[in-house]
Amino acid sequence: MSGIIIQGFLISGLYALVAVGFTMIFSVGRVLNLAYGIYIMLGGYAYYTLAQVLEFSKAISLLGAIVVGVLFGVLTYFGIVKRLLNNPIAVEISTLILAVVMQAVVILIYSPAPRAIWPIVPGISRIHNVIISWNIFFAMITSWVVLGALLIFIRKTQVGRAILAVSMDTKGALLSGIDPERINILTWALSGALGALAGVFFATYTQLEPSMWVSPLITAVAVVIIGGIGSIVGSLVAAHIVGFMETITTTVIAPELRGVFTLLLIIIILVILPKGLLGQEET
Amino acid sequence: MKKSLSWWLLFTVLMSSMPLLISTRSLRIFIFANFIAIFAMSWDILSGYTGYISFGHPFLIGIAGYTSAILTHQFATPLYISMPIAILLTMVAGSLFFFPALRTRGTYFALVTLAFMEVTYHLVQVVRPDVTGGSRGLTGLPLLVTGAVQNYYVSLFAMLFIGLGLWALARSGLGTVLSAIRMDEDAVKSAGLNTSKFKLFAFTLSALVAGIGGVLYTHYLGSISPRGMFDINFLFTILIAALIGGEHSIVGPILGAYFLTFLLEFSRPYIPGSWRYLCYGMIALIVYMYAPRGLFTIVNAVENRIRGKNLRGEEYDSQTA
Repeated sequence: MSGIIIQGFLISGLYALVAVGFTMIFSVGRVLNLAYGIYIMLGGYAYYTLAQVLEFSKAISLLGAIVVGVLFGVLTYFGIVKRLLNNPIAVEISTLILAVVMQAVVILIYSPAPRAIWPIVPGISRIHNVIISWNIFFAMITSWVVLGALLIFIRKTQVGRAILAVSMDTKGALLSGIDPERINILTWALSGALGALAGVFFATYTQLEPSMWVSPLITAVAVVIIGGIGSIVGSLVAAHIVGFMETITTTVIAPELRGVFTLLLIIIILVILPKGLLGQEET
Repeated sequence: MKKSLSWWLLFTVLMSSMPLLISTRSLRIFIFANFIAIFAMSWDILSGYTGYISFGHPFLIGIAGYTSAILTHQFATPLYISMPIAILLTMVAGSLFFFPALRTRGTYFALVTLAFMEVTYHLVQVVRPDVTGGSRGLTGLPLLVTGAVQNYYVSLFAMLFIGLGLWALARSGLGTVLSAIRMDEDAVKSAGLNTSKFKLFAFTLSALVAGIGGVLYTHYLGSISPRGMFDINFLFTILIAALIGGEHSIVGPILGAYFLTFLLEFSRPYIPGSWRYLCYGMIALIVYMYAPRGLFTIVNAVENRIRGKNLRGEEYDSQTA
């Protein structure tokens, strides 16, 4: 029982970090970025390359991974999303194609074989016979810190409030002197950074492989649908629902069914409540 | 209409004489192209026409393939019984697709279909692996016909039959209603038409085509596996065949499927296999972003240029009508 609670909180923290970058894009741009999983994968590979191949320090490697995430986030925005902004379905199709293309690129560079990535913080502890990896614990703490900082940034700073304004009403924001273009670029950069950061932890939690982008993407989608759009706190709550559900499934039913219930939840919620569990009316 | 029919006739004659012209090895490429064309047309009649984008087509194809595979492999059912059952079940699965479509549109609908595919991918491996073959799938399934030439004709005539049928349908009033749903569903409703009925029709029809393609494909390969079936790369191939060729045209997906398959084959000596998805994807992305209506319109434009007509403005109308 204590195992489920501890494990649940650890995984949920990671999931919250995975999902929040995806949620931001959906709130501000009203598009689902199916290439979001790619930032997670690229973050993991960038960290791997810097830390384990080029042997930079962990901090520099982490920073490098985030820079890669920012670059790809902004590139996705300029290359694809900006050109198709009035057509969310076209954005979805193009970002899915982009994701498969980037997966092919990674396979070309790194081969399809999975790679082990060393934990950022090595070591494990035992509490009540529950094994806690310090790495996942560190991921959870980072996730809480980052989400807290993000919340403060959005609520308290001028730029953050501008992001909020654009997510509520682009035209209204434009009328009050906010440049939605700049806000969009900023959001995509932030989303890429968050994705890449989450990717480093996600890769140390699972393993580094070219197809690793699918499962965090589904988690992010589930979190958005359960948590509704435009709310960081909602995403946090939703990440815990998904995280605990997966932990309970893994320990009580069968580890292989871990992803199935998340997917079933997506289907059921969308069929019963097309706007998401806590969703807002689409404008 | 008459001109188009003669094109179909020419195409049929040309494709039917293919086994006389090319080697058996190349014939296998054509077989694959035919199957991709069937799947892409199935996607087109649902997503291209009604605008409900399906990211879950491998789900439908897989239901057909797995049903027939399990029936023949585990229960020794003859093919002439297992295949119709599989196709029927796929149509039921297609109606399952339909329930989300009653309530969600656009983005969320695409997500539900993607979730359908992923759920099946996991379930097939976990639930009763003794029946489904688990993650390794089933091999040694009975073949419908043996030999490259026979298989080629089966796939070709299935493709031509489906293509002509869907093409004729798309040109009828039904096709017009489906296109209208894509443009403005509420307007169609206001015109007094029951859109749910038309959508259900499109979904079931798409499932029927996917089912036919699925069983033929499975009993051509003789094996089925979750990784080969419920896979993003498989979805990707179907999707970009339809998009490169030009969605919302039925002929486009056929063009796209052939284009992609030939691109793969003829570039094989120059571009190693691992570059394949990269090249496909880049081409698809560029075509989709800069010529969203695909090769079909480009071919049409070239044809009109040759005929000395300038139909730039009318092109779009004549296709959508």
